[in-house]
Amino acid sequence: MTTATYAVPTAFGDLTGASELARDISDPPLARDEARDAEFEREALPWLDDVYRFALSLTRDESDADDVVQETYLRAYRSWHTFIPGTECRRWLFTICRNVFLRSRERQRPTIDLEDGEQDAVAAGSVYAAAREKGYDDLYARLDLAPALREALDALAEPFRSAVILVDVEDMTYETAAQVMGVPIGTVRSRLFRGRRLLQEQLLTVAQDMGFAPARAAGAR
Amino acid sequence: MSAPARAQLEGLGLSSTCVDVLRHLWDYLDDEMATGGAHRLRAHIATCATCREYEGYQACFLDALAKLRAELDAPTSLRERLAAKLKGQGCGCWDKVRKEQA
Repeated sequence: MTTATYAVPTAFGDLTGASELARDISDPPLARDEARDAEFEREALPWLDDVYRFALSLTRDESDADDVVQETYLRAYRSWHTFIPGTECRRWLFTICRNVFLRSRERQRPTIDLEDGEQDAVAAGSVYAAAREKGYDDLYARLDLAPALREALDALAEPFRSAVILVDVEDMTYETAAQVMGVPIGTVRSRLFRGRRLLQEQLLTVAQDMGFAPARAAGAR
Repeated sequence: MSAPARAQLEGLGLSSTCVDVLRHLWDYLDDEMATGGAHRLRAHIATCATCREYEGYQACFLDALAKLRAELDAPTSLRERLAAKLKGQGCGCWDKVRKEQA
């Protein structure tokens, strides 16, 4: 696999609080450049919904997500000269978005040492066994699962939530997600597997709490 | 995986390959597994009812997560606000932020 080199704009001053996200950028307007604007429109604007979803998953607050997205796009526009044509613009935008979020919260990347993820993958088998036992083995095929899934995803702690959002919702490879999160691929895998297992455990609990009817009586199989 | 852990799983009646499915199914479903390993898993799943059921369960879980992507777009208010900000920065395509939504 090849790893593209790309630059992430960081030279627009430190943001030290969430309120500063909403500040107006005081830099003067850029000189008119139709080619730059055409590229920005073609490469960056189509990913606005994706960046918004990612920002919302990070902030868990619509207003904060709006601020993060706005800051992300303004930085991207002013730093467009650092974007390398031919590389993935979505990944570039997600990386800026994550940096904007982390700076706004003054949050250092959590240092969580996990094993290689296999422990969680195997443990997910136990969750499945419990789901079968309770008659919920078709839980994920239910049409009404989405609200519970969103709730469980919102409740998932960082950095597991980011890994699940990037890989499972935004359909990124482990490698691309690793570049966005600034961690090795093995770390993405560990966080992803832990996140999935925690989600599955949570969904099983939510299903019971919300009164989802089991597909069959327990022990019928 | 440690040898004792593997032995414990195999003691539950799982074959060595079933244990490998437990360990690597997510890599397999994510298309992140080396070709040789993926072939071995696929061949085993095709012949093992337990692993096939488990694969279906996990695939459904990942499908449900992927469907969330279609449910949430940037709100109109954000698009309007961003369009105004980009216009202020001299961006010639600022109005496309709003048009994208159509």
